[in-house]
Amino acid sequence: MAAVLQVLLSGLITGTIYGLLALGIVLVYRTTNVLNFAYGAIAAVCSCFLVVLMTGAHLSFWVAVPLTLVFGAVLGVVLERVFARPVLHAPVFTKVIATLALVLVLQTVALAIWPSYAEPIPLQTPFVGQAARIGGVFIPLTDVVILGTTAVLLALLSLFLLRTRLGIALRATADDLNAARLVGVPAARMFMLVWALSCVLAAVAGILFASQQQLAQVTLFDPILIFAFVGAVLGGLESLPGALIGGIVVGVADNVLALVLAGRHVGAVSISDPGLREALIFGGFVLVLLLRPRGLLGIGEQRRV
Amino acid sequence: MAEHDTDIPAESGPATEAGVAAALPRGPGSPGAAPPAAGAARAQGVAAMVRGALGPLVLLVVLFLVPMLCDALFGESAGFQLHRLSLIGIFVLAAFAQNVLTGYAAQPSLGNAAFFGVSAYLLAWLTQDLGQSYVVGAIIAVLACVVLGAIVGGPALRISGTYLAIATLGLVLVAGALLNLWDVTAGRQNYALETLPDIVGDDHGLYYVVLVVVVALLFLGRNVLRSRVGRAWVGIRDSEVAAEAFGVNLTRFKLLAFIVSAALTGVAGVLYATWASTASYTMSSADQTIAFLAMIIVGGLGSIPGSILGAIFVGFLPILLGQLPDPVVVGPAQIQVATLTNGLYGLLLLLVLILFPSGLVGLLQRGQALVTRAVGRVGALGAQRGGQA
Repeated sequence: MAAVLQVLLSGLITGTIYGLLALGIVLVYRTTNVLNFAYGAIAAVCSCFLVVLMTGAHLSFWVAVPLTLVFGAVLGVVLERVFARPVLHAPVFTKVIATLALVLVLQTVALAIWPSYAEPIPLQTPFVGQAARIGGVFIPLTDVVILGTTAVLLALLSLFLLRTRLGIALRATADDLNAARLVGVPAARMFMLVWALSCVLAAVAGILFASQQQLAQVTLFDPILIFAFVGAVLGGLESLPGALIGGIVVGVADNVLALVLAGRHVGAVSISDPGLREALIFGGFVLVLLLRPRGLLGIGEQRRV
Repeated sequence: MAEHDTDIPAESGPATEAGVAAALPRGPGSPGAAPPAAGAARAQGVAAMVRGALGPLVLLVVLFLVPMLCDALFGESAGFQLHRLSLIGIFVLAAFAQNVLTGYAAQPSLGNAAFFGVSAYLLAWLTQDLGQSYVVGAIIAVLACVVLGAIVGGPALRISGTYLAIATLGLVLVAGALLNLWDVTAGRQNYALETLPDIVGDDHGLYYVVLVVVVALLFLGRNVLRSRVGRAWVGIRDSEVAAEAFGVNLTRFKLLAFIVSAALTGVAGVLYATWASTASYTMSSADQTIAFLAMIIVGGLGSIPGSILGAIFVGFLPILLGQLPDPVVVGPAQIQVATLTNGLYGLLLLLVLILFPSGLVGLLQRGQALVTRAVGRVGALGAQRGGQA
């Protein structure tokens, strides 16, 4: 029982990371129609920035974190200006390709500045080595921090989007760009805001994931980004809570599968291989898409003629 | 496609020769003669067709002579240079395959790299471990891609736009992971093709094999694109609703686009494995997907010359950058050439997407239009002066 709970907990943690990434992806997709495949690279660059501050500039974790968040916001604004705005009116697929190209550019620039980050660089957070044990379940402090931060972020984000003038203007822009412009919403500034917000979320995800893995690397998020997308799509690609829930579903499924398949063999093939798990999750995802083409929580497709 | 009109006279077959004979001696403007207007139009059409076919024919002859040229120019290293050129030929095929799916039928699929990798592994498995001949291995690998294309294309019909892009990119990553699992299980780094037929084992032979296969498939593809099928794809691209209203069976033609693209990519995968004499799981990766997309975007969407130009561009970039010292030092920064190559792909792709959405082909056409207009203007100016004098 404790083993199952332990697996569910680690699934929840992995899923929360996926969910955080999915949140930022959905935020940008809803407002600017950019399906941001560069999101993992952005988060990874932020995590590298954190480690550079801590090891290079010898700052404490608590000073480096806010600076990394600011870095994320600045990166978001820069990306919006030089990357997202020129392709704003391009077809969705063109934007997809553009973000794939952006991955290469971001990683190259990052590697040019920090060549050593091609390899994993260790990261020591103040939470390392601290854990609680509740009823046989081992709970590292890092996991608590991840869950707490995400909960607080989601609450703040909902408050911002639902209660503040700026948040309402943002949602108006997402719902109908032209109508929002007509009532005087400065749309260009909204796009900038949304990219900044999304990149701050990426920075948070980058810091949390790097803390959990205790390392930073330019390609840190390459293996998990597709799961964040799977989570975002399961949540319908439109709703923020949906994105988080979708991410958690994928994370839990991943860990439960790992438990079920652990140490099993079919003939000479070890089916506990992560590649096979990835394939299984992905097969399930495609199945869900076939049954519900707009995701688990998505609203039915409308086809206008 | 501006060339379309040049096709029409060709369909009238033997009659065109008579038309040429009747029209040529007199010409359309000569007084007294009353040649049938259709004959004159045909003659012009034939002339245009000859002019249109001349370029590709000359290109073919040149491509055929390249190995001899290489022998004369490079001597010992001719094989090495030809080997590089063969790779560009393979890229042309892969780019064309992506273009059929994305540029013509407008399916936002990122999944072609999966077929690229799978066909290479199947070829390796069939020829190395199952003892099949190369030709049988290649044919089965391509047929498997046809089946896979149908399997992937089926769900793709129900999944649209953004969702399809995510699902197909996932397919590439999963296929890569599974191929890697196969390697790990079999205890090898990558799947080496140790025994190859002599003709493809030799650089000159491989060049000619690639040349013949790619040219034949491009020619076939060009004809398919100009047939009912190609027009249906372009119809779907321009407006699904309108295409459906005109009786285009969306399901059938979209599925066909997936299958044709998968088959062409399969051939490219077989050729690539032969070229590298190894199959590696990195053939089915996000980077490979980006390389395919970079080719058609930089070259030009929905254009065969675009696929060729894009593949040449993507194929030559690493060769050009290979001339740089490794690592490149820019001020305090040091960059590995491999990283720099990737970054430049990305940067160029972005610049092209933002500045020239119609790619190199669009740029060439614009340049051509500018030249034509300039020439016309100069001509008109000359005529004006002549009139004044």
